Amino acid sequence: MSSAPFSRRGFLAGIGGIGAASLLGACATGSDDSAGAASSTLTLQSSLSDPDPKAALTKVVEGYGKTPVTLNTIAIETFRAQLPTYLNSGNPPDVLTWYAGSVARDYASKGFLLDVSDLWTGSGACANFSPALKELSTADGKQIFVPTNYYWWGVFYRKSAFQEWGVQVPTTWDEFIAVCKTIKSKGVAPISMGTGSTPWVASGWFDYLNLRINGAEFHRELLAGKHSFDGPEVKTVMDHYRQLVEYIDPKGRSYSWQDAVTPLTSKKAGMNLIGAFITSGVPSDAVDDLDFFRVPIIDPSVPVAEEAPTDGYFASAKSKNTAGAKELLSYLASAPAQQQFIQLAKSSNLPTSQAVDTSTFAPLVQKGIKLLNESKAITQFFNRDSSDELQTTADTALTKFLDKPGDVNKILAEWQESAKKVLGS
Amino acid sequence: MTSVAAPPRRRRTGLRAVPKVIWFFLLIPAAVEVGMVFWPAVNSFYLSLTEWNGLGAAQPVGLDNFKNLFSDEIFRGALWNNVIWAVGFGGLSVVGGLALAVALNRPRRGVGLYRSAIYLPMVFSLAVTGLFWRVQYQPDGTINTLLGAIGLESVERQWLADPDTALYAVLIAAVWRQVGYVMVLYLAGLKSTDPTLDDASAVDGAGAWQRFRFVTWPQLRGVNTVVFAVTVIDSLRTFDIVWAMTQGGPYHSSELLSTYMFQQGFTFLNLGYASAIAVVIFVLALIFIITYLVRATKEEIA
Repeated sequence: MSSAPFSRRGFLAGIGGIGAASLLGACATGSDDSAGAASSTLTLQSSLSDPDPKAALTKVVEGYGKTPVTLNTIAIETFRAQLPTYLNSGNPPDVLTWYAGSVARDYASKGFLLDVSDLWTGSGACANFSPALKELSTADGKQIFVPTNYYWWGVFYRKSAFQEWGVQVPTTWDEFIAVCKTIKSKGVAPISMGTGSTPWVASGWFDYLNLRINGAEFHRELLAGKHSFDGPEVKTVMDHYRQLVEYIDPKGRSYSWQDAVTPLTSKKAGMNLIGAFITSGVPSDAVDDLDFFRVPIIDPSVPVAEEAPTDGYFASAKSKNTAGAKELLSYLASAPAQQQFIQLAKSSNLPTSQAVDTSTFAPLVQKGIKLLNESKAITQFFNRDSSDELQTTADTALTKFLDKPGDVNKILAEWQESAKKVLGS
Repeated sequence: MTSVAAPPRRRRTGLRAVPKVIWFFLLIPAAVEVGMVFWPAVNSFYLSLTEWNGLGAAQPVGLDNFKNLFSDEIFRGALWNNVIWAVGFGGLSVVGGLALAVALNRPRRGVGLYRSAIYLPMVFSLAVTGLFWRVQYQPDGTINTLLGAIGLESVERQWLADPDTALYAVLIAAVWRQVGYVMVLYLAGLKSTDPTLDDASAVDGAGAWQRFRFVTWPQLRGVNTVVFAVTVIDSLRTFDIVWAMTQGGPYHSSELLSTYMFQQGFTFLNLGYASAIAVVIFVLALIFIITYLVRATKEEIA
């Protein structure tokens, strides 16, 4: 110890050296940001942090030759929290991944999003997208969003299991309840739903029952605060939900949606209302056996609506290179880029471009496309049609309801109370 | 002559004798401390009086956030849960840690193995502890299987999904981890006690409990201060384990102030409201720590 290799002076000098180096580094990157980034490099901020989608987007971006693109991938929770900061900063990312719907419209109303209306007209990249998608991407008469893929929701089940239990795919509510009864009589939980760490899945049934009973228009207005959660319409919805409670696997209260897929694949549960992303949680040998059906019709006079959460991109209004950002958006929305992304991401998502050749897609995906094409209205999902904050009021109300269906009136009154607070703020 | 007189004189003019350049160097850490710790803290006090969603300028709203807090049922629930947490977490980990320390203090065959086994959970992060216990608490997990095996099927339940048990289930997991830490602190304290006092009182005919209560315990006063401060701070800042296990659910029944603050601040971006919760947490911690420190210093002087 007498000959200490690190003298105090040496240590201090080292600190000084590090400080100087970081200062120099700061200068270097500083000049890079102001001069270089504006003209040549585009930044694409991505929330796709799961391995497959991340690798897929990386590959797609590599294929873009016009301008160099820096892809920043950020975990979705952080991304969600930081999104306003990204958009509001002096030097924002040029293009960002996010959802269509009320959140995007909210940012558009604050003037954060680039008007991309020209991509939706003439020979623009989004010109051949469906009118429903265009409407979804519009805020105040301008298009501010570029949808690139979406997925459907349905009641998923195993074909072989339905055969074993001798049940047919139901199309009406009464048939559906009868199927639940039969499956329960075999000692199997009819419906699997992971409301433990992912309580939002409970909103799936709520959304659908509301769409089937009161229709898409009412549903959107309800989530926008124009109707009351303890009104007679929602009470009818909850009456139907209540009929399901006895058929829902009680263990689901401890599960996440991923956990709730396991009983379905092992035939310990019959059905699961979930998005097409379920295929990523099903072992490959069971995927071919997996099928889905449309949530049964309750009131035939209500136009059929389906949930189809749409993902895509928007650009920052403050981007220093708006022309470049639009070109990148056009590339990402192009048929080859969409197809490449969906296939590499191994997802069951559907392309928004009608130019994508879907004949090579799995039969399940083709059925999903057909399902959405046959529906009269498209909604997103509870949180995408309202806000994440309103979603937690739904989570609280619905998980409480699943525990104590008898307290439904009190729960709805509380829900309305907390929804009012959220919507009022 | 001068060498004898010099020391007292230097002590009297101590402050002035410090070279100016030292003051200059002291300014640097002071500036860092002010800039990196106090300034953000003061900022969050200011934010608690505003409404801010991270965009544009914060709107001053006076004490509205605090008024809303106390009419917010979730906040009151979280406050009460924090009281349960502080008492349960503090009480159980101190009692458990002390008992283990006393039991494992005497050198004995294999005692090191026991000590390391009990300290082992401490090396896991709280998030890992949370994941580990979540598996145990699953409907078909170890705990329910064990209960079933010994014929207690009626006690089986969904520990984390039941609003009556969720908070306590998380509490057990947190104590499981903390107890080893408290044990190590007390073991260190016990090592510094004087064994001859213990022997002497044993010779005088004092029982095991009497020896612990009247001979060992008073010697642990210094360690107690540390354990108390660590436990109070740890219980007020508990966040990760609850977040990993229940995220405050089901329906806010295991919500703590910290998880509620996180949700308001970083999920909903109600930064003003979240800052108000942070201020409440800060004040609570301060009250506990100051009262205890004042008491402890008084005892030391007396």
